[in-house]
Amino acid sequence: MKFFKKTAVKNNEINETGPVISISRDIKENISRLENDFGHDSDLVVHYFKFDNNRGLICANIYIKSLVDRSTINSLSNELGKLKCECRNGKPGINIDALMSYFSGLRDAKEGFDYEALYTDLLSGNIVFLIDGCKKYLAVAANSDEGRSIEASSAQTIVRGPKDGFTEKINSNIMLIRKRIKSKDLKVEYLSAGSITKTTISLVYIHKIARDEIVQEIRTRLGKIEIDGILESGYIEELIKDDRYSIFPTFLSSEKPDSVAAALLEGKVAILVDGTPYVLTAPALMIEFLQSSEDYYHHYIVSSMMRFLRVMAFLLTLIVPATYIAVTTFHQEIIPTPLLVSIAAQREGVPFPALLEALMMEITFEILREAGIRMPRAIGPAISIVGALVLGQAAVEAGIISAAMVIVVSITAISSFAIPNYEMSNAIRLIRFILMLLAGVLGLYGVLMGLIVLVLHLCKIKSITVPYLTPIAPKIKGGNKDTIFRFPLWKMKYRPIGISGTDAARAGEGNPVNSSQKEKPEFR
Amino acid sequence: MKLKRLLSILIILSTIFLTGCWSSHEVNTLAITVCIGIDKTENGYLVTEQVLNPRAIASKKATAESPVVIYTAEGNDLAEIIRRFTTQSSRVLYNADLRMVVFGEDVAKDGIQNILDYFLRNYEYRTDFYFVIAKNSTANEVLGTLTPIELVPGFSMYISLKMSEEKWAAMKSIRIIELVNSIIADGDNPVLTGIEISQDEISPESTDILKQSGEYKKLKYTGLGAFNKDKLVGWLDEDESKGYNYITDNVKNTIEYADYDSKVKITYEVLNAKSRTKVYFLENKPAIEVKIKTKCNIEIVEGEFDVSAEENKQVLNELLARKVKLLCEKALNKAQKELKTDIFGFGEAIHRKYPKTWEKLKDDWNDKFTDLPVNITVEAETNQLGQITKPLFMKEKE
Repeated sequence: MKFFKKTAVKNNEINETGPVISISRDIKENISRLENDFGHDSDLVVHYFKFDNNRGLICANIYIKSLVDRSTINSLSNELGKLKCECRNGKPGINIDALMSYFSGLRDAKEGFDYEALYTDLLSGNIVFLIDGCKKYLAVAANSDEGRSIEASSAQTIVRGPKDGFTEKINSNIMLIRKRIKSKDLKVEYLSAGSITKTTISLVYIHKIARDEIVQEIRTRLGKIEIDGILESGYIEELIKDDRYSIFPTFLSSEKPDSVAAALLEGKVAILVDGTPYVLTAPALMIEFLQSSEDYYHHYIVSSMMRFLRVMAFLLTLIVPATYIAVTTFHQEIIPTPLLVSIAAQREGVPFPALLEALMMEITFEILREAGIRMPRAIGPAISIVGALVLGQAAVEAGIISAAMVIVVSITAISSFAIPNYEMSNAIRLIRFILMLLAGVLGLYGVLMGLIVLVLHLCKIKSITVPYLTPIAPKIKGGNKDTIFRFPLWKMKYRPIGISGTDAARAGEGNPVNSSQKEKPEFR
Repeated sequence: MKLKRLLSILIILSTIFLTGCWSSHEVNTLAITVCIGIDKTENGYLVTEQVLNPRAIASKKATAESPVVIYTAEGNDLAEIIRRFTTQSSRVLYNADLRMVVFGEDVAKDGIQNILDYFLRNYEYRTDFYFVIAKNSTANEVLGTLTPIELVPGFSMYISLKMSEEKWAAMKSIRIIELVNSIIADGDNPVLTGIEISQDEISPESTDILKQSGEYKKLKYTGLGAFNKDKLVGWLDEDESKGYNYITDNVKNTIEYADYDSKVKITYEVLNAKSRTKVYFLENKPAIEVKIKTKCNIEIVEGEFDVSAEENKQVLNELLARKVKLLCEKALNKAQKELKTDIFGFGEAIHRKYPKTWEKLKDDWNDKFTDLPVNITVEAETNQLGQITKPLFMKEKE
C-alpha cells in the first residue's frame, strides 16, 4: 500500500508543468509559438483574414484538420463573410467580445486566456479565433461527429425493455440519460482527467435524490486522479475504488441507459467517460450485481424467482467443484451409499486425484472461454467442436476424466453465465479456484474456512463509503424490499436508505386502481 | 516490513498446503463394506465382510462379476480381524456406509456387549445401520447368500427389514443407540430381528436360476429374538412378535384376521395402532395397564356377513380388539413365563413414574417381572369397508 502511494507522489511532481503562459497581444508571436509547438508538418491549419482592409486588423482562425467537421468550416466561413460585409459598411472595430456575441448566438462558443486552454480546445475539435491586439481567444465548437450510432447493447442483452445502448460519444450518452429523466434536478458536471489524453469525464446525478456527501466524495476522488491517460471507465474504477486490492467490483458498469437512469433515481451517481460505452454507477452494492434491469419490467413474482435463481447460481458456481472435491476425497461418509457406489464406479480407472481432475477440467474450460472471446468470429465453430471433445464424452471415454466431473464442471459453467454482471462472474471464477485448492487440501473444513474469509472480506469492503453488503450486513429495516426478492413497485415506497439523499419518497400512497373504483359508474 | 509481511503470508500458506492432503482417500481406493457378520469360533470370532464391487453394480453392460465380494477372517479381537482384511483386499476397507450387522446365534447367546463397544467407539461407523441375528445358520452363510432384484444383498436386507417392519409389523429395526440404551436400562431388554435362509426346492422360472445347482436360497426375516441384557435368551414366533410390537407401540400397518364363527372370517388392515403404558398400584404393588387403540379397514370378508349393517359395527370392532389382545397376551406370556425377561420396558415405565418404588424393585427385576400384573385393553375402530360394502355372494334376507 505504502509503496504505491510513494510512486503516486512522484508522478505528481512530474506532472507539474511550468507557469501558465498567457496569450500575447501580438498575433504574429502567438501564431509562431503555435506553429513551433505543433511542428510544421502537423495538420494544423492557420488561416489569416482581415475584417476591414483599411484598418488592417489581422485575425486568424486556427483548427486541426482531422478533428473538425468540413461542413461546419464551410458554414462558418459563410458567416464570417457576412460579418466582413457588415464591417465594410461602417461598423466599429471588431474584437473578441463582438465576435463572441456574434457566434454564441449561432453555436457553442467560449473564450480563453492561456495557451494550455487553447491547446486543449484546439485538440478537442474547436476552431480557435485570434485577433491582433487581444489577449484572449475564442473557441467555436466544430467537432466532427464521426462515430458509431446508437445500437442495441451487445454485452447486456434483454428480452423485454429498451434495446438502445450507450456509444463511445459522451454527448450522445448524456442525451440518452436526459431523454429518460426530464428533470431540472438532473445535474451534469464535466471534468477532465489524464494529463495527456485530457479525457472528458462527466458526473451525473439527481440533486437531492443523490446524497451530497457521496457526490462530493466522488468529485474529490476524480479530481485527485493523476495519470497520463484515461481510455476506458475501467481506469476510473481502478483508480478511485475504496479497497484497491479487492477483487470484487465496487462500481456497476452498464451499457444500458435505462439501468443507469434507474440507478440515478435510486440516488446513485453515474460517471461517464468519453470514448467508452460503459457507464459506471456508484455506490454499487453486492446484491446489485445479481440484478438485471429486466427484473423491474416483468411481474414481481417472476422477477423474484429469477433473482433467487441467480443467487443460487452464484453459490453453485462458487462452491460446487470445491464441495465435490472435498466430499469425494475426504468425506465419503456424507454421500448416500448408492451415489457413492455410482461415483466409485465412474472413477474406476481414472488416474488422477479428484483435485487434479477438477483443476484440469476447470482450466480447460477457462481457456476455452477465453479463446472464444478473443478469437475472430469466423473460426468460432471450430473451437466449439474441439471444446465439446475436450470437455465431453471423449474425455470420459479416454479414461482421463470421470463422467461426474464433467457434470460438475458443466453445472459450474452454466451457473457462472447466469450471473448478469461480467466483472462479478470473473471475481467468483477466481475465488472458485482458491476454494478448490483449499478443498483438495483440507476438505470441507478448508472450503468453510475459505467461505468465512470471503464473507469477512465482503463485510469489510465499501463502495464510496457505503458498506458493500448493505442492506443485508448492516441490516436496514425495511431495506430488503429490493434484494433477493423484488417487491412490487407499489410496496417500494422509499429509495434505498443509506444511499439516497433527503428526497426519500418514491411512490405515493394512492393506488390508481382503487381510487378509480371508488367512483362507481352508474348503470342506467 | 515488506519482508515480514511476505514471510507471514508464506507461513500461513505453508500451514495450509504443507499438510499435504492428509487423510484423503479417493473414492476408487475404497472397499465399501455394506454388511459385517460376526460368528463365534473356538479362538474368538469369525468376521465376514460383504464388500461392494462398484464396477459390477454401476456397469450398464451385464458383467460376469459378482456385485459383492466376501472377505472372511478369524481372530481373537474384532478390531484386529477387521484390520487384517487389508491382507486380502487391495483397497482400504471403508465402513461408514455399513447397512447391516449380522450376529451369529452363538455370539448373541454369549453376549454382544464387547462387540457393541467397538461399533460405538470407532469413529468410522455411523449410527444408522441395523442389527439382526442369523437364526438357525451362521452370519457367514447369511452374508454369502445372493439376493434377487436388489443386486447387493446388504441393501436388500436393509430395505426389506424397513419395509416389513412398516407393512407387516412382526419385525423391529434396531439401530445401535436404541440397542445400547435398552441394554443399559435396568428395566428394559432389547429384541433383535432374526434372519433365516430359506431353501426352496422348486426353482423359479428364470433361466438365471437354472445355472445354479437347483436349490434356491432366499433370505427371510422371522420373529424377534429376546435378550436378557446383552444375551439372547429365546425367540418369539410371528404372533408373539406382533404382540410385542402392539404393546411397544411399534405397529404402523399390518394385516390381522379373526374368525367370527366357523363360516365367517374377516380380515382387517390395521392402520394406526397407538399404545400407551400406564403404571398403577394394585394391592401396594405396581401393576401395568396397556391401552391400545387401533383403526382399521376391512380387507376381506369370507362367508355371509353384512359388514355394512349398523348392528354389526360393534361386532367388527370387537373381533379385531379380541384378536389384538390375544396376540399381546401371547407375547406377554412368553416373556413372563418362559423367557423371564422384560423386553417391553415395563420396568422403565415404573422407574419413570415411581422412582422411589423402583429403587426397591430394580435389583431382581426380572424375577419380579414374571409376577407383574399386566392388564391389556384394546379399542378398535373400523374406518372403511373397502370398495364394496356387502359381500357380493351374500343373499338378501327376505
